[in-house]
Amino acid sequence: MTPGQPGVIVEENMMPGVTLSRWTMSYFFAALSALIAGEALMLTGFGYPAAGLRAPETLVLVHVIAIGWLSLLMCGALFQFAPVLIARRLYSDTLPLPALLLLLAGLGLLLAGFLQLSGRLADLPSLLPAAGIVLSAGFMLVLWNLGCTLWPARPLPLPARFVATGLISLALTVAFGVIFALVLGQQTSSDPMLAIAGAALPLHVAAGIGGWLTLTAIGVSYRLLAMFMLAPELDGTRPKLVLALAGAALAVVVAIGLGAILNGASLFIPLLAGSLLGLASLALYGADILHLYRARKRRTIELNSRMAIYALASLAAAIALAIGLAILGRLQDGIGAVVFVLVFGWLSGLGLAKLYKIVAFLTWLECFGPVLGKMAAPRVQDLVVETRARKWFRLYFLAVWSGTATLLTGQTTVFRIAAALMLAATIGIVSELVRIRLLSDVASRFAGPAAVPRPHLLLSRPTSI
Amino acid sequence: MTTTFVDLDVRPTLRDGGEPFEQIMQAVSALAPDQGLRLLATFEPVPLFHVLGSKGFTHEATELADGDWEVRFTPSQTATPAKPVPPAASSDATDWPEPDRHLDNRELEPPEPMVRVLAAIEAMQHGQVLSALLCREPMFLFPELEKRGHQWRGGFEPDGTTYRILVRVARNSEQVA
Repeated sequence: MTPGQPGVIVEENMMPGVTLSRWTMSYFFAALSALIAGEALMLTGFGYPAAGLRAPETLVLVHVIAIGWLSLLMCGALFQFAPVLIARRLYSDTLPLPALLLLLAGLGLLLAGFLQLSGRLADLPSLLPAAGIVLSAGFMLVLWNLGCTLWPARPLPLPARFVATGLISLALTVAFGVIFALVLGQQTSSDPMLAIAGAALPLHVAAGIGGWLTLTAIGVSYRLLAMFMLAPELDGTRPKLVLALAGAALAVVVAIGLGAILNGASLFIPLLAGSLLGLASLALYGADILHLYRARKRRTIELNSRMAIYALASLAAAIALAIGLAILGRLQDGIGAVVFVLVFGWLSGLGLAKLYKIVAFLTWLECFGPVLGKMAAPRVQDLVVETRARKWFRLYFLAVWSGTATLLTGQTTVFRIAAALMLAATIGIVSELVRIRLLSDVASRFAGPAAVPRPHLLLSRPTSI
Repeated sequence: MTTTFVDLDVRPTLRDGGEPFEQIMQAVSALAPDQGLRLLATFEPVPLFHVLGSKGFTHEATELADGDWEVRFTPSQTATPAKPVPPAASSDATDWPEPDRHLDNRELEPPEPMVRVLAAIEAMQHGQVLSALLCREPMFLFPELEKRGHQWRGGFEPDGTTYRILVRVARNSEQVA
């Protein structure tokens, strides 16, 4: 093929490419702060396992992690990477800031509202309805921005379809949450609302952890793992089946579950059917990921891909644990441990591992992209010191797994030691991320001229060199 | 102004795992000036829209009931172009010189392919063309090329996995402020 022929080359300066998302680092910073706060709460014995699974203190802890840490992390990552998945620019690079402020304010109101349920701050009127409104406004801005980014790119490539399904699940999770907030804040006495608030907690959790967080993580992991390990992109039947089964699982749990609740029927059948579909989906995903690791062209893989293995192992462990407990008829007793390893081993572990690469890459691109080719520039790997970070990651996963064991055996005091180790490891990882962002390790390891300005810790600035 | 359509059904080729690109291009070059092409495929052949667009065809794609696609390519003399081709692109469509440098960056881990492309460009003269093979669309390279004022063309090769980008060095990048 002669490259002069227009037949081979199909795009011509029409592709805008993807620029740095301005507020992604702010989302990451807020998210990591929430993770540290959540771990500090566990260390002090606040919420589960010292309190019950549905205690107000546990609700505080769960939402610090689910909204403060995981959702903000995911939103920040999507503002940067959803455009990469569909080769388009983000609809708005401005909206993420008001969205972040609304989400943080809404989270604050929500936590205060939960504390009111436990008898603290009792003098104020319930803050939960306001929390529902502010949080849903924040999430709606996120959904609007990402929706307007994805919509014109239809038909979506497969990883983006995972993200789209994740975003629909986020909308459902928020909708359930708002109903709970209105009922708990005594703003409604409608029977269907009361029925939903009474029984739909499993649906809220399934849509949140299963649909929003796990499906989005799966979609993005297909692309990121393939990219960082030089493995061929997966686009066959199996990943499509992973999405179809997961989508079916969500539809069964949410739609049939909602029907059951409104008719006063048991949730057992929709939850069981949804779990089986979800398990089939995750089993196929596991097979895909094994294939990606085996088919990689890069033999020695970086720390982020090695640590992702521990996160994936945690996902497998959570599934095995859930099946084992169900067979023993003790799933009710052990559900806290299953959710713990799912949230901290799988979602948080994968999040921290990928942040280690993403922060380095985005910082490198911001600082050295403009001077590439014009002067000697460090490699992305010159920004990180993997040997130093490795021990923190190992400590983190060890602490999570031992924490899971203490939950299963009911040792709430020993659990707090595991929580302390998780906190120490997380602070270690975060300090590595800050060093990466501030280029702390570049100067000593890279002999070239250090002519680039240090980036801002919390936001990315478009460069004009 | 009536356009007659020549039918080409590439679904059997696609279902056998074949690559119908050559077949399509042959059919297109055999068309009379007032003839269009009615193509039947198992998916919406988006890359082809650009390819035939640069040959002066507009397209109209319809999804059929069974999930297949029917696309009518009409020579643009007989139809109003749905999307005007950017003037810079059309004037440059045929007269790029042969590449002066070739890079095969497919086996490199990101962002090394981008680093090598930008380094190679800096060492080249105004008007020279660089050709690089990549294993995916270089999403973060495009804004950098734009900032430095270079022109590029890019697209997946018919194998569907190799991305080829051509960059024409606009001028010495030091002059681009």
